[in-house]
Amino acid sequence: MLLTLDLNDPRPLHEQVAGAVRRAVASGTVLPGQRLPSARELADALGVNANTVLRALRDLRDEGVLEFRRGRGVSVLRPPDGREVLRRMARELLDEAERYGHRPEEVIEIIKELS
Amino acid sequence: MSHPSRSLLVAGAWTATVTGILVAVPLLLRDRLPEPLAAHWGPSGRPDRSLPFWASFSLSLAVWALPVAIAVCAHLRWNALRHRAHRRTLGIVLGAGAAFAVGTQAITLAANLDRPGWHEAGPLGWRAFLLVFAAAAAGGALGRAAGGPGPDEPLVREPVVPQAGMRLRPDRRTVWVSSASNGWVTGTGVACLVAAVALAVAGGIVAAGVALVAAGVLAVAGLVVLWVSTAGVRVGDGGLVIAFGPFRRPRRTLPLATLQSARAEERRPSEVGGWGIRGLAGSVTIMIRAGECLVVRDLSGGELAVSVDDAAHGAALLNGLIARRAPVS
Repeated sequence: MLLTLDLNDPRPLHEQVAGAVRRAVASGTVLPGQRLPSARELADALGVNANTVLRALRDLRDEGVLEFRRGRGVSVLRPPDGREVLRRMARELLDEAERYGHRPEEVIEIIKELS
Repeated sequence: MSHPSRSLLVAGAWTATVTGILVAVPLLLRDRLPEPLAAHWGPSGRPDRSLPFWASFSLSLAVWALPVAIAVCAHLRWNALRHRAHRRTLGIVLGAGAAFAVGTQAITLAANLDRPGWHEAGPLGWRAFLLVFAAAAAGGALGRAAGGPGPDEPLVREPVVPQAGMRLRPDRRTVWVSSASNGWVTGTGVACLVAAVALAVAGGIVAAGVALVAAGVLAVAGLVVLWVSTAGVRVGDGGLVIAFGPFRRPRRTLPLATLQSARAEERRPSEVGGWGIRGLAGSVTIMIRAGECLVVRDLSGGELAVSVDDAAHGAALLNGLIARRAPVS
C-alpha cells in the first residue's frame, strides 16, 4: 500500500499516519477483507515509532475502517465514509488556500466555478 | 590478451590442474592402497562401506565434474566471464568444488594408505568432514576473489519499458509497503518442523541417534522453507528493502543510488527454476509465489526480482524516487 506523509503538517504524527492509511484505503489499493502490513513494517517504512502507528490504527478501528483480529492482524473492514474523506480533503484545501492568502469564501467561489 | 580470454585461461588451467591431481595422486598411490578401499564412514567414525579402486577413482572425478559442468554451461549459455558478478559466482563454484573434491579424495586416501584391508582403514570423524567443508569455504572465497578483477560489462538485456515514475512532491514522504506469502510453502515448512519435533521426541524415547540426526535435518529444512515462504518489501527514501521470512529477518537493502529502473512483471516458478532464491548473481529472482514481481535493475545492468503484491505501485514509486534523485547526482 502507498502511504504519503506531509512533512510540513503541524498535526500530531498519529493523526497524519491515520490520514495516510485512510487515504490508501479510500483509494482502493487495499480492499475490504485484505490485510494490512504489520504495524512494525508500516512504522519502519514511514520512519516513525511503532506505537504511533498502533495508535493511528486503533483510531481507524474506532472509526470503523479497520478490524483487529487476534492472530490474523489488521484488515480493512469497509472503506471510510465518503463524506468524512471529503471533509478532511476540504480541510487540507482550506489550509493550502490560507498558505496562498485566500479566504474560505474565495475557495467556495472557485468550487462553484468548477462545478 | 583481453580479459575474458585471460579469465578463460585461468579457469581452464585451474580445471586441468585439479583434474590432474585427482587422476595422478590415486594412480601413484595405488600400490599402497587396499583393494577394495574403505569409501564410507559411519557415525562412529569407523569405515562401514567399501568400493573397488576404479569406482572410488571415478567417484572423485564425478564429484569434480559437477562444478566443471556448471561452469562450462554458464560460459557457453551466458558468456558469463564478461560480467564480474558471474565471474565471482563461477569462481565460487570452481574454487569450492575443487577444494571439496580434492579434500574428500585426500582424506579417503590418507585413511586407506598402507592398510592391509578396508576394515582396517583409519577412522574419519566429524573433524575430517569439518576440515573438508572449511577447505571448500576457503576455496569458494578464493574463487570469488579471483573473479573480482577485470572489466564489468553491463549485462546486455532486451530493453523493457519501465513503469512510469510517480510524480512526487518535495515536501511529502511517500512510502510503499507490501508483501507476498505462499500458504503451501508455509504449510510445508510447518509440517517439516512438526515432523522434526515428533521425530526428536520419538528418538528421545527409544534413544535412537539416527532419529535425532534426521530430526535435526528436518528442522533445518523446515526453517529454510519457512524463510522463503513470505517476504516483506518496502520502498522509501532509503531505496528498496526486502525482508525475508515470517520474522522479516534478515533484510536486504538496495540503496536508491545503486538503482537504475524498476518495473512490474509476471513471473512463474517454472520460468525461474523453482521457489526460493533463484538464478546467478546479476539475474536473481526471489520467488515466493507465481504472479506479480517487482523487478529492479541496478546501474551495472544486473536485475533482482521479488514476488510481491501490488508491484506496479512499488515500481512507479521507485522510478519516481530515482527520477527525483537524478538531477542532483
